[in-house]
Amino acid sequence: MSENIQRVSPLADIAIQGRFGADHGAPGVVLSVRHPVQIATVIARKGKAKALADALKNWRGATAQWAGAEQYFVLERPFDEVRRKLEGLASCSDQSHGRVIIRIEGPKVRQVLCKGTPVDLHESEFEIGKSALTQMAHVGVHLTRVGRDAFELSVFRGFSESFWEWLSEQAEEFGYQVI
Amino acid sequence: MTGFRLDKGGLVDRAAPLDFTFDGKAFTGFAGDTLASALIANDVHLMGRSFKYHRPRGVISAGSSEPNALVELREGARKEANTRATMIELYDGLVARSQNRWPSLEFDIGALNSLASAMFVAGFYYKTFMWPKSFWEKIYEPIIRKAAGLGAASKEADPDKYEKAYGHCDLLVVGSGPAGLMAALTAGRSGARVILADESSALGGSLLSENEEIGGMSGHAWAMATISELSAMPNVALMPRTTIFGWYDDNIFGAVERVNDHVLEPSPYEPRQRYWRITAKRAVMATGAEERPIVFGGNDVPGVMTASALRTYANRYGAAAGKSVVVFTNNNSGYRTARDMKAHGVHVEVIIDSRKEATGDAGGVPVIRGGAIVNVRGGKRVSGVELADHRMIPCDAVAMSGGWSPIVNLMCHRGAKPKWDERIAGFVPPDVGNAIAAAGSAAGKMLLSECLADGARAGTLKGKTPALPKCRDEAFAVTPLWWVKESTGKAFVDYQNDSTAKDLPLAAQEGYRDIELAKRYTTAGMATDQGKLGNVNAIAILAEATGRSMDQVGTTTFRPYYTPVSFGAIAGPFVGHHFQPVRKTPLHDWADELGAIFVETGLWMRSSWFPQEGEDWLASASREVLATRERVGLCDVSTLGKIDVQGKDAAEFLNRLYCNTFSTLDVGKARYGLMLREDGIVFDDGTTSRLAADHFLITTTTANAARVMSHMEFCHQAHWPDLDVQYVSVTEQWAQMAIAGPKTRATLQKIVDEVTLDDKSFPYLAAKEISILGGMTARLFRISFSGEHAYELAVPADYGNLVARSIMQAGEEFGIAPYGIEALSIMRIEKGHVAGGELNGTTTAGDLGLGKMMSSKKDYIGRMMAAREGLTDKNRQCVVGIRPFDTMDKIRSGSHILKKNDAPSMVADQGYISSVAWSPMLNMWLGLALLANGRERHGEVVKIFDGVRNIHMFGVICDPMHYDRENKKLHV
Amino acid sequence: MLIKCPHCGTRPVEEFTFNGDASIQRPTSNDPKTMDQWFDYVYLRDNPKGRFEEYAHHSSGCRAWLVVARDTQTHEIFSVVTARDYAKKRVAS
Repeated sequence: MSENIQRVSPLADIAIQGRFGADHGAPGVVLSVRHPVQIATVIARKGKAKALADALKNWRGATAQWAGAEQYFVLERPFDEVRRKLEGLASCSDQSHGRVIIRIEGPKVRQVLCKGTPVDLHESEFEIGKSALTQMAHVGVHLTRVGRDAFELSVFRGFSESFWEWLSEQAEEFGYQVI
Repeated sequence: MTGFRLDKGGLVDRAAPLDFTFDGKAFTGFAGDTLASALIANDVHLMGRSFKYHRPRGVISAGSSEPNALVELREGARKEANTRATMIELYDGLVARSQNRWPSLEFDIGALNSLASAMFVAGFYYKTFMWPKSFWEKIYEPIIRKAAGLGAASKEADPDKYEKAYGHCDLLVVGSGPAGLMAALTAGRSGARVILADESSALGGSLLSENEEIGGMSGHAWAMATISELSAMPNVALMPRTTIFGWYDDNIFGAVERVNDHVLEPSPYEPRQRYWRITAKRAVMATGAEERPIVFGGNDVPGVMTASALRTYANRYGAAAGKSVVVFTNNNSGYRTARDMKAHGVHVEVIIDSRKEATGDAGGVPVIRGGAIVNVRGGKRVSGVELADHRMIPCDAVAMSGGWSPIVNLMCHRGAKPKWDERIAGFVPPDVGNAIAAAGSAAGKMLLSECLADGARAGTLKGKTPALPKCRDEAFAVTPLWWVKESTGKAFVDYQNDSTAKDLPLAAQEGYRDIELAKRYTTAGMATDQGKLGNVNAIAILAEATGRSMDQVGTTTFRPYYTPVSFGAIAGPFVGHHFQPVRKTPLHDWADELGAIFVETGLWMRSSWFPQEGEDWLASASREVLATRERVGLCDVSTLGKIDVQGKDAAEFLNRLYCNTFSTLDVGKARYGLMLREDGIVFDDGTTSRLAADHFLITTTTANAARVMSHMEFCHQAHWPDLDVQYVSVTEQWAQMAIAGPKTRATLQKIVDEVTLDDKSFPYLAAKEISILGGMTARLFRISFSGEHAYELAVPADYGNLVARSIMQAGEEFGIAPYGIEALSIMRIEKGHVAGGELNGTTTAGDLGLGKMMSSKKDYIGRMMAAREGLTDKNRQCVVGIRPFDTMDKIRSGSHILKKNDAPSMVADQGYISSVAWSPMLNMWLGLALLANGRERHGEVVKIFDGVRNIHMFGVICDPMHYDRENKKLHV
Repeated sequence: MLIKCPHCGTRPVEEFTFNGDASIQRPTSNDPKTMDQWFDYVYLRDNPKGRFEEYAHHSSGCRAWLVVARDTQTHEIFSVVTARDYAKKRVAS
């Protein structure tokens, strides 16, 4: 493929870098878009749920996030590799272009996210690495805790602009930085 | 004392004066004041006019129960009607106006109603404005509305932001008085996640306004120390200015946090209010108790207020409600007020205690035992009181206390009724299980030591209840006095709705004995304050009038909201462009660059037409059709639902979902499919491609994409869980475009790698993965909705705009044009392809001319019910083409079809036009219609009746396929 | 109201879409003699006061179909199982 064919994020002109919202010193949260990223939906074939879970657990270099019953998102590996690796265990579908992952991190992250999700994200209730499927501002969100005060929000590509606008408005009162 | 502001005392900040206006007049108050306390400090007692009689009214209370002092707050777009002056925190520049008066608060014409008050008895509206019936809507109602209205809402859009949020905790504490603070402290110290909410601007509850002693310090000092300890705990969230307005299933609480109601204008980054939904494992209702008025003549004259309100204005706000006070009480509260006021240097004339043998520390103030006030003198301000024994005592303020009502509302929001407690003469909360408990005076505990103990108990989620701080108790005893029957003036039960003591016996006499009926007949308890002060008095008077006990009469139903909640908070951020999310296709930028006009389709924004200079939608769409049919066109069809279906049983699954068969589809081919509902009606349609033996890609209509997915999930999980099949929506992964027209192949050939797009390697209905633009993986489907030689090309979404631009470039030499869904729709109608107008939830496969698709060799959803008599009747309405008889006429969708000589009637109705388009190919309006026994009627001349516009014309029924009936163009 | 999804944990009721009585089973025969069973299956529904087993789709969550047994009067929820397990158990019994 020609060099000048580049993947273009739907948020390329929306998630502009800079400091926004209230200025109380350090930003309350930092927002960023993970792009380009490889995402595959993998769903266990009949009777292979355990084998799939084991295969994903032992797969170094790939991140597997729970995404429903016997279903995961596998990140960071090329789709062909995912399909080959999980042959016979799972049905795989490429979603690299179909979903947009927004990372939100910072001391006020829970105060921002509680304006959207009914899921309790308190440290004691939602450990690092845990994922949840929920809805925020009428948009379906796959949410994963990726650090102490860091979360990734994955939404359908078509909603990403609308969702970004809503999310960044909720962060305004704490001040936010886009990187 | 200068004026009515006390020289010292109170929690207001005398170093921070604030300017405000009321009815245009300038005043000054202090930080920490409410509008009510600042007005009182400025000797303004007249704050409003009553609803029905327009009587002059002042504040009765010092909190959220206030029925009288309702004002219009702020101006312009931020104007807010019916706001309680007792809850408005004073800020610099505050502007408020009184309501329900004309021309002015001081001189109000409506007060003449008072003279005619004999007319305005209970049920007045029902009795008077009944006849003649036609008068109600045009005459009575508008006049009554104008006369009776409270404040006026702003007609401008609210410029402020509102938010919603979810909270979670182990213990929610509602109310921050002694019981609430003790509960929060106990739970907080044990490490539990605690939320402490209070509707007031400051935490502390009654400890902010009463003289108490706890742990060797003043009650206020103890409260501040406790709040300071709580605020240092990371597991405790303190929420002042937050009203917990409702208790719902599974211990979910609704709350409104007034984030910025106490400033002139919120910061642009902050909301005015935040609407919370709090899920609490346990909750403590430490909401306190409300002091009741006594029902006696003139108990509404400005200057008459509850005894505790008088204390609050003095102790918390440093303002005296009068210079000479008379106390009227049936319990100890009056004595406390007398002592506190005296301590502030305010003269207290006398305590009138309705109990003959009462004792209490009057602090040296004379006490009249067994006395009662029968009337209050004064119009716009108290000037004195008359006693039952005709004594007249001059004064400028009356403190009344009829006893205490525990604030039980929350615990009654799910249907349980409170119980009458003779000892405290009040309704106490019902037992509703462990999830929520009442503590302190909300539970009927009237001593401070009991409140602290109750709070500590409720805050103990595990282990032993901690030791309590020592405190001083104020004795409590009450003997009910509801209504001074000797009253000579009007004695009010419900201040806001002007219901008097006489209204209730009248209601009972006329048969409205049930409290719910009496409430509606007298309107007692129906105002914006929901009868917080008056309801118990109303129940007692009704009980007496009907010879029943308090428990027998019972309370009316308690419902959320506890206090009024603004529409802004309920709507939250979901207004304007956030009303619903916007969904954009991967080709949005490409279409935008070419000047597309977008239209909302569900949440999607779809390119509808691409106008050039001077074109309207019809000219644009017609040109796009011609360009496509004569040369080549490109259309964004990314919104079609796309579902990846995989697994060993994928083909079997599709066989059961669709009425036609998919197990026989070859790999690399596409087939049109039709899904029925279980009742035999058509559900959805679309093409399905077989990408591998165990891998299909199905497409759905844009409108039904989500419904089809849910349907598949249901059928698989609930009906056929044993099938080895997996499926996921890949709608958003692919940018999909239709390329159609005689020059399509030549255009596409320029961008595809290697493959030759001839009929051999890529025949009609081929569906294959290919490579384009030097290595990009894409999927190409030779399918056509337009009837032209056409393809649909799918590429990964991030490349969508780039590929569309590349195709436009490749097609430039052939005269390619982008086309929108208007042109798409014209072309499908020209070709007689069914869409939304025909797939409308009433049509069968047979009706659509697709009956032959229904397999008889397998079970599938809808098979059995589709065979019902009624769904196979030959007279059913089925799809036909329709054209105007006079080809200059314009037919419209929705028009009904009649036999040529019939007049319009339900009986004569033969069907209707479901889709219409101007055909640039045939130069006339044409359409599709659903017509009884339509297939037998091609060629028939019918009458077309448009009832909306009252247009009659003739039309001709024809085959649905208006254009290229031989399908030659598909294979050009 | 809160529903405990077996996959997602406790979630508010707005995340779910309901689809009526789960105790009714889709007939398996296509014999025209079974038409009455089909009419009952498609159209006939009880509206009980008390215990009710109802299909609930976790449409704003994991998208699993569930069967929620609840009391229509008190809103008490007795159990939540997946529709898949419910169907398998029905076949087994």
